[in-house]
Amino acid sequence: MARRTFLKGAGVALMLPRLESLGQVEEQAPRRLLTIVNHLSFYQPKLIPKTDGTIQEPPPLLANLSDHFEHLRMYSGLNNPAVQNGFGHTPCVGILSGYFNKLHRKNRISIDQAVADQLGDETRFRSLVFQAGENLNFSQISWDKHGLPVHQLDSPRKIFNLLFQVNENENVQQQILAEDRSILDAVLSQAKSMEMRLNATDRAKMDEYLSSVRDAEKTVRKQAHWSGRPKPVVDYEIDAFDRKSVDDYVATLMDLAVLALETDSTRAVTVQIPFWEGFKEPELTGNYHDLSHHGQKKEKIEKLMMLEHGILKRISAALTTMKERKVGNTSLFNQTTTLLTASMGSANAHNFDDLPALVFDARMKTPGYWRRKDVPMSNLYLGLLQQFGAEQDHFGESNGTFDLLA
Amino acid sequence: MRGSWITVLLVGTLCGSARAEPALETFFAKHCVECHGPEKNKGKVRLDLGLDALFADADLPETVVSLLEAGEMPPEDAAQPQDAARAQAVALLEQRILANRPANPIKRLTRSEYSNTLKDLFGVEFDFTDLLPPDQVEHGFDKFGESQLMSPHQMVAYLRTARFVAERLLPDEKPETRTWEFDVRHFHGSKNFATGGGGDFRDGDDYVLTGFRPYRSNLHFSIDPTRHEQFVVPAFGIYRLEVKAHSEKSKEGEVIGINLGDGRHPTNFRNIRRIPMPHGSKGFTTELTLKAGDQLAFTFDSARVPGRSLAKKPHQGPAMRFSHVKLTGPLAEQWPSAAMKAILPRPKMKPAELVDHIAMLLTQRPLQTEDRKAFVAIARSQETSGAAMTATARSMLITLLTSPHFIYKSESPELTGVELAHRLSYFLWNSVPDAQLLEAGRSGELADDSSAQVERMLADAKVDRFVDDFTRQWLQRDKVDDFGPDVRVYKHVRRMTVDSMGREGRELFAHLLKNDLSMEHFIDSEFVMVNDRLARFYKLPPVKGDAFVPVQLPEESERGGLIAQAGFLKLTSTDFATSPIHRGSWILKNLYNEKIDPPADVVINEPDIRGAITIREAILKHQQEESCARCHSKIDPLGFALEYYDPVGRKRSEYRHVKELPAEQEETVFTKKIEFTTAPIEATMTLPDGREVRDLPTLKAALMADKERLFKGIIGKLISYALGRDTTLADRPYIDSAYRASEARNYSLRAAIEAIVAHPEFRRK
Repeated sequence: MARRTFLKGAGVALMLPRLESLGQVEEQAPRRLLTIVNHLSFYQPKLIPKTDGTIQEPPPLLANLSDHFEHLRMYSGLNNPAVQNGFGHTPCVGILSGYFNKLHRKNRISIDQAVADQLGDETRFRSLVFQAGENLNFSQISWDKHGLPVHQLDSPRKIFNLLFQVNENENVQQQILAEDRSILDAVLSQAKSMEMRLNATDRAKMDEYLSSVRDAEKTVRKQAHWSGRPKPVVDYEIDAFDRKSVDDYVATLMDLAVLALETDSTRAVTVQIPFWEGFKEPELTGNYHDLSHHGQKKEKIEKLMMLEHGILKRISAALTTMKERKVGNTSLFNQTTTLLTASMGSANAHNFDDLPALVFDARMKTPGYWRRKDVPMSNLYLGLLQQFGAEQDHFGESNGTFDLLA
Repeated sequence: MRGSWITVLLVGTLCGSARAEPALETFFAKHCVECHGPEKNKGKVRLDLGLDALFADADLPETVVSLLEAGEMPPEDAAQPQDAARAQAVALLEQRILANRPANPIKRLTRSEYSNTLKDLFGVEFDFTDLLPPDQVEHGFDKFGESQLMSPHQMVAYLRTARFVAERLLPDEKPETRTWEFDVRHFHGSKNFATGGGGDFRDGDDYVLTGFRPYRSNLHFSIDPTRHEQFVVPAFGIYRLEVKAHSEKSKEGEVIGINLGDGRHPTNFRNIRRIPMPHGSKGFTTELTLKAGDQLAFTFDSARVPGRSLAKKPHQGPAMRFSHVKLTGPLAEQWPSAAMKAILPRPKMKPAELVDHIAMLLTQRPLQTEDRKAFVAIARSQETSGAAMTATARSMLITLLTSPHFIYKSESPELTGVELAHRLSYFLWNSVPDAQLLEAGRSGELADDSSAQVERMLADAKVDRFVDDFTRQWLQRDKVDDFGPDVRVYKHVRRMTVDSMGREGRELFAHLLKNDLSMEHFIDSEFVMVNDRLARFYKLPPVKGDAFVPVQLPEESERGGLIAQAGFLKLTSTDFATSPIHRGSWILKNLYNEKIDPPADVVINEPDIRGAITIREAILKHQQEESCARCHSKIDPLGFALEYYDPVGRKRSEYRHVKELPAEQEETVFTKKIEFTTAPIEATMTLPDGREVRDLPTLKAALMADKERLFKGIIGKLISYALGRDTTLADRPYIDSAYRASEARNYSLRAAIEAIVAHPEFRRK
C-alpha cells in the first residue's frame, strides 16, 4: 500500500507550468468534469435510499460516500431509451451517449466529450479516458462529435508516462513536428492552387481538405507547443502493476485522474471501472464479472459487496483528496463536478435501464436523493452540459433537463 | 412505361424545353398541390414552388418520376390523371433529369486503394490498410466522392501514415533480420488469467486449445519462460511465421486463427489471418505484415465448443495442439530495395527534379508549375541544410503522399488517356494501372477499344481485389458475423461456418465473372459455391477443403442464388430473430437498386419481436399507416416469403421464439436459461402488382420474372462503384446499353462489365 502515498503536501500547484499563451490570469477558476462509470453497476438494494429527499439513513454501500452527502444529488431508476438491449455487455457502450443501435458502427457524442468540447482547448489534453483493457468491444464509452470512438487508455503506466514522464526523444519529436508544419503548409498551398482549376462542386470538396489541413496545423502547433514545455513534476510512483486487483486498479486510476485534473493537464477525465480482473484479497476467490452475475446466491453477493465497498471507498477517498488539494485559490473539489454512474442497472439481471447516477458538486444548494423512474439519463446529461455553459436545449434522448445545482 | 427512354427523348425534343415548365406546373397544380402544397405539405414535400425549387433537391425529382410511373401517386383514392397526361409529366421530368448529369465530385483514394496503390507502385507486400481510419459510408460505396469525408483527424492520419510509409520505404540502414523461437515453456493461455473460462491447457510438450471464443481460449507466448510478459514485435516489416501444430480427435480440416492483441485481455483481438489446416497437417508457414508493438496470439477458430472450464468436465472433442512457433523478420529484401531505386533512381538529384520525379511516379501526372513551388521549396531547404539525399527524398515522399496531388483522383470532364487508365484500374484492380495499361491509355487504344485491356485485367490475379471489395460492400459480407449466433440457440453453427457464409457471395461473383456465366445465377442457380463447412451446413455431398467449388444442387433443394445464401439470411437477422423488413429492404436496395430510406420524420421503433406471438401482426401495422405503406407494401412481401429460413439461414417449419428466463430462476449463474415457444409461420403475401409470393421458390420466380429490373439494378451498382457516384435516372441510357450487351450474351456478368467500360459515359467525369 506504500505506493499509494499521494502527492506530498500542497506543493504540486506551484510546480505547474501555467499556460503562458493564455497571457492573462484567469478571473475564475476553470470548471472540470470527472466522470466515473462502473460497468458492472452496484448492488442497488444496498445502494439506493428508501425515501426521496435528504439522505437520512444511507444503505451500507452508499454510506461509504457519507463524507460527501452535502454535495451529492443522487438519482435512481434512470433509463437510456435509445440503448437497444441484447448481446451481452455490448449495449454498455451507450451509457454516456444514451445510444446504442445494434446495426450501427457509430454512436452519438458522449456527455464527457460534449463537456470537453465545451471546456475548450487550453490544456495539454482535451480529455483523458481511462479504462480496463484497450478497445474491448463493449467498453468503448467515449465517443466524439462524429460518433467515432475516443482513444481510451488502459495501462496506468502508460497514463502516468503520458502525463508526467519526460519525453526522451524530445528533440526528434520537435524536428518531426516542425517538418509536419512545413509539409502541411506546402500541401495547403498546393490545394489552394489546385482549387482554382476545379468546378464549384469540387471546390466545395477541396474546401473540406483545406479546412482539415488548417485544423491539422492547429493540432500540430498545439503538439509542438506542449512538446516544448516541461510536463508537471509529481511525487507519485506507480509500482510494477499486475492488474490482479480491481481494488488496486480503481485506486490507481482515481489517483491518476485526480493528478491529471490537479496539474491542469486536462479538464475532463473519464474513468471506467474495470470488470475483467479478479482480485487478490485472500478471502476472495472468483472474479468481479462472475460475482456481479450472482444469481442471487448469498455467498456471491457477500463477496460482491466486499468488492463494491472497496470501490466506493476509493471513490470517496478521491473526492476527499480533491477537497484537500488547492488549485489556485480554491480546492480542486470546488472546481470539479463529479458524475458517478453505471452502464447497467444490475449486472445480474443484465438490464440497461434502472440506472443510478450520483452528481457531486460543491455549488449545489439542496443535496439529497430522488427516484426518477424511466426518466432519460440524457436529461441529467443535458443538465450537466448546461451547467458547463452549453446553450443547447437538447442532448441525446433528452425530453427535459435536471437542475443539478438546485 | 419502364425503360422507354427513347420515347422520352423524342417527346422531350418535340416539346422543347421552353414549354416544359408551364405544362409540368399545370400538372402539379391539378394533381399534386392539394396535398403537397402550402396547406397540407404531406411528407414535407411541396410541388407548388416551381421546377427550380424541385430540382434543387437532389433526390426528389427522381422520386416524383418513379411514383408517377408506378402509379403510386396520386394515391388510389384521389382523382387520377389521364395516362397521356401522366406520361407527359414523366417525360418532361425525365428530360430535365437527363439534361442534368449528376455531378461527380472529386474523389479521394479509399484506404484499400491507398494501400494497393503503394503495394503496386513500390512492389512491396506491406498491408498499409489499417494505418488509415476506415472509410465510413452511410450508403452506396466508399468510392463515392460525395460521401467521403475529410476531417482534421483524417488529415493527421494521412500525415502519420505518409511518414510511416516513407520511413519504411527509405530507411537509412538495412533493417536487421532476427529469429525468435518459442515452445511450450514460453506458451501461455487464457487459463493463467483471472478471466477464468479456460478451455486451454499445457500437456507435455504441447499447448492445447479446445474452445472457439478467443477471450476464453487462446495461445500467446513470452520470450522469457519464467515471466508472463507477452512477446512484442520490435519493428515494422514482413515476418515469416512457422508454426508446428496439429489437430487431434478430428476427422476433418481445422482452422487456426492468427490474432493481434493482448492475449491477457483478448476481447480486443483482431483476427488478421485464418489458416486452414487440412486433415493430417503438421503445421503451417505464412508471412505477415506486423508493426512495432504488435502482439500475436493464436485461436482455434474451428473448435466445436466455446471455451469453458475443464475442471468439472474434461474436453472430449477436437482440439488443436501447438508445439513450436518460429518467427523471423523483418525479412530483408535486396539492398537497396526496389522501392529505394524507384524513388531515388540517382544518388544525387536536384530539388525540382526530385519533386517532379516522385510526383510522376505516384500519379503519372506532372505537377502543375504553380502547384510545385511549395514542394520544391521544402526540398531546397533540405538541400541547403545539408540533409542526406535519402532524408530529402523521404521528406518529399511524405509531402507528396499527403498532398491533394496524390490523395485525390484527377478526372477531367473528358478523361485523358492516363485518367481513363486510372479509372479502369481502380475499378477492376482497386489500384493503380500497370505500365501496359498506362501505355494503352496514352496511345488512345483504351478509349478506342478497351476490350483487350479489360480481358487482360480480368485474367490478372489483381481482379480479386475488385471482386472482394465490390462484393464486400454490395452484399455487406463483412457484416454477416456481426451478431451471434447465440450458442445456446444455434448449437451447431460455428464460427468457421459463419466465416464461410460471409465468403459465399464473393465466390459466386468470382465464379460467374471468371467463367462468363449469366447473372441469372444471382437469382437462382442449379449450383452453389461451397467449401467443406458450407456443404455440410447445406447438407450437400461432402466437399474437401476450405476452398470454394461449384456443387450441383439436388432436385429438391431450394438453395441457389443470392437470397438463398445463408450469409444473406443471417446478415438480415438479429441474434435470435429474423427480420422480414431487413430482408425485404435489402432485396429492394441491393438487387433492384431502389433508393429507399426510412422516412426522415418518423422515429423507427422496430417492434422487439423476440417472444412475440404475432410478428406478422406487429409488422403489418406498417402497412396500415399511409406514410409507411408506400414502401412497406413492397418490402414486406419480399421479406415474409423468406420466413421459412431462420436467423442463421437454415430451413424451418415454425417460429421458435426465444425467451431468456430471469436470472433468479437459474441454478447456474453464468448462463441464463432460455425457453422456447413455437408459432406457425404465415409467409404468404401479395406484391403490389398482385403477384403472390409465399416461400423462397415463389419469391425467386417473382424475382426471375423481374430480371430485367434486377440486372439493371446490379449494373447500376457496378457503374456507381466504377464511377464513384450514385446512379440516377440520367444514367438510364447507360444502364440500358450495358444491359442489352449483357442480354445478348445470355445476361453475362462479364459482358455487362465489358459494356460498362466500353460506353462513352465511362470516359467522362
